[in-house]
Amino acid sequence: MDIGTANRIPYGVGKWGAGWQVLVLILLAIIALGLYAYGQQLEIGEAATGMRDIGTGGGAAWGLYIAFLVYFVGVSFAGIAIASMIRLLDLEHLKPVARMAEVLTIVALILGALSILVDVGQPLRALLYLPRYARPQSPFFGTFSLVVSGYLFASLIYLYLDGRKDAALCAQVPGRLQWFHRLWAAGYRDTPEEKERHRHTSWWLALAIMPLLVLAHSTLGFVFGIQPGRPGWFSALQAPAFVVLAGVSGIGLLIVIAAALRQVLGLKDQIGMPVFHWLGSLLGVMTLIYLYFMAVERLTVDYSGAGLEKSVSEVMYTGTYAWLFWGTVGLFVLAVLVLAVQFARRRWSLPLIVLSGVLVNLAAIGKRDVIVVPSQTHGTVLPYAPGVYIPTWVELAIIAGLFALGTLVYVRFIKVFPIMEVSYTTKGGAE
Amino acid sequence: MAKVASEPKAKGYGTQLSRRDFLRVGGTAAALGTAGFLVADRFIGDAKAEAPTPGKVRYGMVIDLERCFGCRTCMEACKVENNTTRAVFWMYVFRFEEGRYPDMQVRYLPRPCMHCDNAPCVKVCPVGARYKREDGLTATDWDRCIGCRYCQVSCPYSVNYFNWKDPKKNQYLDWKTPEAVEVRQATKGVIPPYKNPDLEERYGKEKRYIAGSGHVKGVMEKCTFCVHRVEKGLMPACVSSCPVGALIFGNLNDPETEASRLLRQKRFFRLEEGLGTEPRVYYVGSPPPGASVRQIEGIVGRV
Repeated sequence: MDIGTANRIPYGVGKWGAGWQVLVLILLAIIALGLYAYGQQLEIGEAATGMRDIGTGGGAAWGLYIAFLVYFVGVSFAGIAIASMIRLLDLEHLKPVARMAEVLTIVALILGALSILVDVGQPLRALLYLPRYARPQSPFFGTFSLVVSGYLFASLIYLYLDGRKDAALCAQVPGRLQWFHRLWAAGYRDTPEEKERHRHTSWWLALAIMPLLVLAHSTLGFVFGIQPGRPGWFSALQAPAFVVLAGVSGIGLLIVIAAALRQVLGLKDQIGMPVFHWLGSLLGVMTLIYLYFMAVERLTVDYSGAGLEKSVSEVMYTGTYAWLFWGTVGLFVLAVLVLAVQFARRRWSLPLIVLSGVLVNLAAIGKRDVIVVPSQTHGTVLPYAPGVYIPTWVELAIIAGLFALGTLVYVRFIKVFPIMEVSYTTKGGAE
Repeated sequence: MAKVASEPKAKGYGTQLSRRDFLRVGGTAAALGTAGFLVADRFIGDAKAEAPTPGKVRYGMVIDLERCFGCRTCMEACKVENNTTRAVFWMYVFRFEEGRYPDMQVRYLPRPCMHCDNAPCVKVCPVGARYKREDGLTATDWDRCIGCRYCQVSCPYSVNYFNWKDPKKNQYLDWKTPEAVEVRQATKGVIPPYKNPDLEERYGKEKRYIAGSGHVKGVMEKCTFCVHRVEKGLMPACVSSCPVGALIFGNLNDPETEASRLLRQKRFFRLEEGLGTEPRVYYVGSPPPGASVRQIEGIVGRV
């Protein structure tokens, strides 16, 4: 085992350049703003947000927090999906982005858990009572147990096992981080037996995680899909559509992160363009499937023209939420077009792939809002006056703070552990 | 390692399954399946309706739409009795108009909590704060609620109200206003003008905090059918204050109560029966409001 030519850990681990320091300062500032906003929310109560009672309160009881809970959990799709596909389908050429994806999963799941805590009115009770009085028949049980506990735990184990070899390599390098790498390696020596045992365990873990992945994202769909009292939500398509949209946003964000790290850390030789071709094609296909789902859903609702479903549809097509709905559809279509043209010409450009990654993520956020809000403000079964939901600065600042926190955790990880397998420095080039 | 590998294989894939093995494995599987079914039944079954057994008290409400004239006294009585805060209407009376001038009609529809037997809110509550009592009431434990608002989102009738603010800061009487000072002086400071002491007690066999409103910030509350009055043998506040007796409350399992008698004698409907929620609030005296009704003088009360 040898770490490489220069006997130091690659990919900028442990090195904080000026740019990184500035980034961290900015992130800390945004987190501080988010914390201040959360303090306001704790002090005033959730009257500080734009959410209000459904019905005579003329509002929506769930808003941005729930939309972003769904978004964050959706993004977590990327890591485990990619990691499992590498293991199960032998997609070796995706390996350079595997760890980036795994860390993305873990960070996204932590953010998802935090958005639940931010959303509930009694955060301390939530922490104590959700495990203590857990009720499996609530769709939220799946969100907490499957997603936030099971999924996060499995992802952490996977990351740990996958990183042990690199940890052992890094532990040979003297420095302030040596103890951490030694702890992670936990006596790993990369003997053939150990290798085989790791390969075996990871394979089974990957196999076990795949159904968990479908289940976890479906559960989030069920949170909405099995509520007959909310026109616009009650649909058998909700669960599968959530799985697919999770894939869309997850792969999209992974493309953005991989491209950014490739640029910043100078990994042009290690992450070849074929990785992006593959991810771009996958993103295009998944976005197309999602658009198909949306078309089926819309057709089912509008063909019958049934009362309340129709009034929710109308609000989305021509009413208050038209800009959000059509904007979302437009972004999805644009992203598919950008990818399709590149695919047809067999000429890929990294900026364009990244652009479509950004577009689908904006669209995914928009779509989550379109799912969550209109059914509450305009989907009351009894003829209440229509409601409004306009997020306040508190909600926006908290969401921004969550994003900043996620980025900070990600950056911190990059600086303590190689974000890509160390072996790529010596071999060079994506294989 | 080598030692383990050299041991003879006990039962590989090649060995045949003996009958005894089959029975043992099959029996274990069957036992596990039954246990799983029992557990699942216990977990999923609790939101369902109990079969109406005579002798057991199952409360319900009958609302006579022929009598209701939309005075909204019940709304006021509910607020006073339960100390609900601003913008909270546990009881709400819709005022509708139907048709076009001159062929039009004004109608009223009181809307308390439906106390559904197959309550969507009970099913979705992740901590069991919303639960079904033996006597048919759908109760909210404000000491258990974590404030996720899933019940509110799942309720087709929109009867849930969240404490967006600290209830003490959201009462009608500001402690510093002259009116509040007067009230305090008139009662010699013994009873604060907005505190009903009964609401802080535990109720039911299960001894849980389920009565009244205005307790804690960040929890969900809704119509309790005045559980603190019902357990004392009194009628809910809305029922006893209705000037024309349009609201009738009683044990629907007992054929002798007025509520049961009305349901036998008159045609009734329940709101949105198609959703399968099995509401315990029945409407008599008028057909259900059609799709063409428009709400007039609707309340939009934002905190």
